[in-house]
Amino acid sequence: MAMQELPKKDFFAPLKAWKFLGKRPVTIEVPNKVKREASDRYRGFHINDWSKCIGCGTCSKICPTDAITMVEVPGLVRDHGKLPQRPVIDYGRCSFCALCVDICTTGSLQMTREYIHVSDDAEDYVYMPTEKGLNAKRGLYEHGKAPLGWIKDENSDILDLVRVKMPMEEPEVRVKSFIEIVKGYSKEQAQQEAARCVGCGICTYTCPEHMDIPQYIESIYKGDLEEGLRWLYRTNPLSMVCGRVCTHRCESSCSVGVRGEPVAIRWLKRYIIDNVPFEEYDRILNIRPEKKGKSVGIIGSGPAGLSAAYFLSTMGYDVTIYEANARPGGVMRYGIPRYRLPDEALDKDIAFIEALGVKILVNTKVGQEIGFDEIAKKHDAVFISTGFGLGRSTRVPGTDHPNVKQALPMLKMIRDYLRGDGPKPPVPRKLIVIGGGNVAMDISRSMARLQTMEYGEVNVHTLSLERSFEEMPADMDEIEEALEEGVEFHPGWGPIEIVIEDDEVKGARFKKCLRVFDENHRFNPQFDENNQIFIEADMVIEAIGQAPDYSYLPQELQEKLEFVRGRIKTNEYNQTAIEWLFAGGDIVHGPDIIHGVADGYAAAKGIDMYLSKK
Amino acid sequence: MTNSMSNLVKILESFNPFVEEIDEKEIKITVSPDKVVAVLETLKANGYSHLSLMTCVDWIDDNQLELVYILFSWEDGGKFLVSTRIDRSNPKFVTVKELWPVARFYEREIHEFFGVEFEGNDDMKPLFLELWDERPPLRKDFDPRDYSRKKFPDREYEKDVIKEAKIFRGEING
Ligand SMILES: Cc1cc2nc3c(=O)[nH]c(=O)nc-3n(C[C@H](O)[C@H](O)[C@H](O)COP(=O)(O)OP(=O)(O)OC[C@H]3O[C@@H](n4cnc5c(N)ncnc54)[C@H](O)[C@@H]3O)c2cc1C
Ligand code: SF4
Ligand code: SF4
Ligand code: SF4
Repeated sequence: MAMQELPKKDFFAPLKAWKFLGKRPVTIEVPNKVKREASDRYRGFHINDWSKCIGCGTCSKICPTDAITMVEVPGLVRDHGKLPQRPVIDYGRCSFCALCVDICTTGSLQMTREYIHVSDDAEDYVYMPTEKGLNAKRGLYEHGKAPLGWIKDENSDILDLVRVKMPMEEPEVRVKSFIEIVKGYSKEQAQQEAARCVGCGICTYTCPEHMDIPQYIESIYKGDLEEGLRWLYRTNPLSMVCGRVCTHRCESSCSVGVRGEPVAIRWLKRYIIDNVPFEEYDRILNIRPEKKGKSVGIIGSGPAGLSAAYFLSTMGYDVTIYEANARPGGVMRYGIPRYRLPDEALDKDIAFIEALGVKILVNTKVGQEIGFDEIAKKHDAVFISTGFGLGRSTRVPGTDHPNVKQALPMLKMIRDYLRGDGPKPPVPRKLIVIGGGNVAMDISRSMARLQTMEYGEVNVHTLSLERSFEEMPADMDEIEEALEEGVEFHPGWGPIEIVIEDDEVKGARFKKCLRVFDENHRFNPQFDENNQIFIEADMVIEAIGQAPDYSYLPQELQEKLEFVRGRIKTNEYNQTAIEWLFAGGDIVHGPDIIHGVADGYAAAKGIDMYLSKK
Repeated sequence: MTNSMSNLVKILESFNPFVEEIDEKEIKITVSPDKVVAVLETLKANGYSHLSLMTCVDWIDDNQLELVYILFSWEDGGKFLVSTRIDRSNPKFVTVKELWPVARFYEREIHEFFGVEFEGNDDMKPLFLELWDERPPLRKDFDPRDYSRKKFPDREYEKDVIKEAKIFRGEING
């Protein structure tokens, strides 16, 4: 047999080994009954910091010995990003592998160096770890004093904290046109991102529509997009839209986001919809309800109206939507700029709702083309979702000038122009936008594009009362992207007047805003009247909020309804004080698309309950 | 890679290897099963005389097992990872205990955890597991949790763990 040979000339080469000659041996004799301390990285009994633990249950899911059970703790509450449960460990099963520590989303779960616990009572081996650790019997340390052993470090962490980067259009390119900025994930990218989800479901609670997020993310991971599509359509018929422009509150609660970047829930949703061909929807979703023989009229084809229409028709109701505009979609069609939400991304969602038999009558403004009473007579129930379609003005002197515009009509004009439905909007060389919210970002960035297309340069000044980017209600992403595109921000200024000379807008004067809200968090701005600036411009656009228009509702109905700060009060099923009248979307809750979808869902259930009884 | 390593890679070219440079001192050589022993012999004769480790990877989706031999050179401190893939449904390979006696134990371990037979090495007594009656536990389709549930049925505890935790946390008095 050929023995292993060391190269002769190198027999003494591993000089490193010599240094161990002088070292004391590793295995040492236990002196009389003295218990030995464990090594620094010992995997002993667990501790769990309850102030950090969010009850996500990831530790329990990974445990290979099924030693961890999640137990609800009375006194803890279910909240944004938190579940009211904590892990309980059965030391009759635990193999001390530490996988639970390595994956723990928050880092709350750790191991101590306590390894001795002797008891002949089985009940002593089950325990809910707290900050103090196990009250070990005959252990090494006093209760609560065991030093830390195995804890998470960057090498042992098995949670993937970094999001798969989304391919995006560069600022120099995107400001030249209205091309969609976010490109969407490829299959590999989507699966890699999906693999980051630990399936805890904490996000589902935060989503206003309680979408089945971990379920559809798992479908992506498995590569089963048909199953993914079915999960999406269980709760949301506008997933292609939401996959692009949802306010994605869910992500702010994602347990992976506690220490890293949250899972890109919104973009994963988009990945499913972008990659299932429309022709397949009918077969995959297979919606074949029994006809109920009753009909529902819906006013307004924004997210709330479309969502209600979808859910009602899956229940077998005949649905007709009345829409004032030439195309369905509401703000999705006429407000949100095309670089965030192209028409095509809306068409697919709406086409499927129409394929279920929903009739959408466009160019039909209720109160004008058709009376509200007629609709009420024609249908067994009515759902109104007419949105906040009116602009609001600061009403400072000069705002009645024709070159002082409001964001909403301007955004509508731009979208109509881009799809060939209308004339080119006026493009000023110098523009002032007043407002610090997302609508202000949308109009600033849209106008920056038109200016680049027209003059090759951007000159947009956006002023807000809020004194910093953090204080502004706009999303930080929107602010950053606007900055990249050349928009200039002036936070902390309130308008005094629009300066008009020879009947032309010359600019506007502003005064320093000292604070926006008072001690009671009420909107109550205070100014330093002596600190003023003038900004030159030939157009001013106001983007300070929208308001509802209820003029289509007959007076006697309006009197029966309850209004709270411009919004209609309803019960949890979106039923108004008039039993056959339901309402949703911005006129009830707001402020975003997914709340509209949730309202449509709740109203459909409410209408079904009402009509089943009738 | 070091000069001597790149010379060796050249010598190995006749075995049609797939070569990956992992870092400056670590190279992975993938060859078909029939070439493995010849590659190992060549490397051993050229300074890579130390079999640091022999291990296995389960590529369940490809229905293959990958065998990996890690060779180390005391001369230049380099490492060659020699890898090959064999059929997973009937995993058999030849022993290399004639080249490295220590391989006997590695092969036993791989047999125990992945279920590979090594022709010429008859001593396949388990090294670690007692009374094992499941598929080899490092196969990807072994479900540790399922096994654990089957072998160690859950017991019902009576203790109020929540109360105990709240006492430990000082929320209530015990
Ligand atoms: C510029 C802008 C950008 C936004 N960006 C986002 C975003 O990125 N993400 C997000 O989640 N939310 C966004 N929002 C908010 C979101 O668009 C709204 O919350 C949502 O559209 C409200 O839906 P809705 O169904 O209540 O009404 P709307 O979308 O407002 O739709 C109402 C529909 O009713 C029709 N209508 C009104 N009156 C009548 C009548 N008398 N007869 C017939 N039809 C009528 C209107 O024409 C319109 O089509 C944005 C809003 C604006 C203004
Ligand atoms: S250490 Fe391992 S076996 Fe023990 S509870 Fe944690 S994951 Fe389960
Ligand atoms: S993984 Fe961590 S944060 Fe989540 S429940 Fe377990 S201990 Fe708590
Ligand atoms: S997306 Fe985040 S919060 Fe939602 S299930 Fe996955 S890991 Fe949990």
